[in-house]
Amino acid sequence: MNDRAHEGSLGGRGALTAILLIAFAVSLVGVGWEDGLLNSGGLRAVGQIVAAAIQPQLTLDVLSIGARSTWTTLAYAWAGMTVALVIGLPLGIIGSGTLVRSPWARRWNISFARFALAVFRAIHELVWAWLFVAALGLSPMAGVLALGLPYGGILGRIYAELLQDVPDAPLRALRGAGASEWRVFWFGRLPMALPDMLSYTFYRLECGIRSAAILSFVGLGGLGHNIHISLQDIDYSRMWTFVYFLIALVLVVDLWSSLVRRRVAIEQG
Amino acid sequence: MAAQYGRGEPVARGGATAPIAPARRIGFLAASAAIAFLMAVAAWVTILGNDHFPTRNLFSLEPVFRAADFAGGLIGAESSTTPAFYKAEEWVEKARLAGETLAMSVAAAGLAGLGALALFMFGARNVMMGSLAPYRSPFWTAPFFLVRALFTVTRAVPELVWAMILVFVFTQGTLPGVTALAVHNGGILGKLGSEIVEGLDTRPMRALRSTGAGRMQVLLYGVLPEALPKFITYLFYRWEVIIRTTIVVGFVAAGGLGTEFRLAMSHFKFTEVTLILFWYLVLVLFVDIVSAQLRRLAN
Repeated sequence: MNDRAHEGSLGGRGALTAILLIAFAVSLVGVGWEDGLLNSGGLRAVGQIVAAAIQPQLTLDVLSIGARSTWTTLAYAWAGMTVALVIGLPLGIIGSGTLVRSPWARRWNISFARFALAVFRAIHELVWAWLFVAALGLSPMAGVLALGLPYGGILGRIYAELLQDVPDAPLRALRGAGASEWRVFWFGRLPMALPDMLSYTFYRLECGIRSAAILSFVGLGGLGHNIHISLQDIDYSRMWTFVYFLIALVLVVDLWSSLVRRRVAIEQG
Repeated sequence: MAAQYGRGEPVARGGATAPIAPARRIGFLAASAAIAFLMAVAAWVTILGNDHFPTRNLFSLEPVFRAADFAGGLIGAESSTTPAFYKAEEWVEKARLAGETLAMSVAAAGLAGLGALALFMFGARNVMMGSLAPYRSPFWTAPFFLVRALFTVTRAVPELVWAMILVFVFTQGTLPGVTALAVHNGGILGKLGSEIVEGLDTRPMRALRSTGAGRMQVLLYGVLPEALPKFITYLFYRWEVIIRTTIVVGFVAAGGLGTEFRLAMSHFKFTEVTLILFWYLVLVLFVDIVSAQLRRLAN
């Protein structure tokens, strides 16, 4: 029995390896190499970019622009995350189907919320950004909404799964004591799922910083915008200054988020 | 908690760490919550303070009218020409671009996977300088720090920024976009791979060591086979993210639906945008389903 299962998995892996290699080979043919690999000055560009990496432009001017656009990027990320929470939390709770008791209503709740969340997160935040800029104009709100929708979609889906995954025994005890489904949720399900939900939200915040940086590509301010402009001026050393600001910002939020997550995980036992 | 959540990246849980006093832990969490809240307030003040558009007034109806105009454009309500989605040749053309986008995403995932596969074991602390290392030597600690630094930098810079840079290096075409996706995702996969190795059950490797295997042999015959299935699973999760991002990379580099989206938006051909978005959603759905099937095959 055990042996057969093992054999089966080996066969599956062999097939998987074949599929992966063939797909990769076919895709490489599709990429198109006719014109050669490197740009005519491509190697020189690599040299210049690498050389500029060790001497970023550190004038007071550039540094103050860097600091200000770091805050802009951070502000977009944070405001976007609040929108994501406003979207993700209610839809996630509905999408967990835990508030209603009848199977029919439950299925309806789940499919409605999950479908909405899937549409939000299917489209990349920068595509949303472009659509919102076209619809609302170059307003910061366009950026915030563009970040909030797909992130809300992801948060909602994860919240729904986490709320469904909590152990059942304590909930049955609550129901046995006569609690309504709403109270079971509020005093049983939510407190049990909360640490993991918090953990995931903080993890998403890290990703939100990177996303906020590229949102500015459509013309909203921020680090991405300045990197874009520097590249248009072919000023690699100024570009690196902003890239270093971005890396530092990501690292700091990364560190904070991992500290929070570790403490939340311990609290859960 | 072995479940992997969400788009590609699992929730990294704190591993075995030194205990932290409860009071300090709660204090830290409370302070973090307070900071997070203050940051949110400050962020909204900044955002609304910089907003010189009608959206600033949350109760004004003008943004609604503008959005309605744009939505009308998408469904071809105001165009004088035939909307793109009534033309068969437009459907075929966009389908071809969708195929190109798919090929780009597979090539990028493959390159990222190969790069990360070659390096991820050298970024694992336990193998390079921790409990699994027979001895410490700069010949092993130096590559560890180099590989980790490489993963950090490639990961922290988003795909789009890589694409902007690589356009200067590679020939015009899909190559800069594919490489940009591969570099960023290679960094993520490498870091995840290293964390897999750091979380592995060490007993098989210790057994291997006790039979006289050298460090390289332990890596190849002990660590790699144990880590590979999980690594492949992560690769599929990342592919789901990559297909969503391939269109974005096309905004700055050539190739696929992304470039077409940029052109259609800048020429105000909004009915073409609708068609592109349709194929984009089809691609995302297709990759999600295929990836789920392949993940099942990997485990």
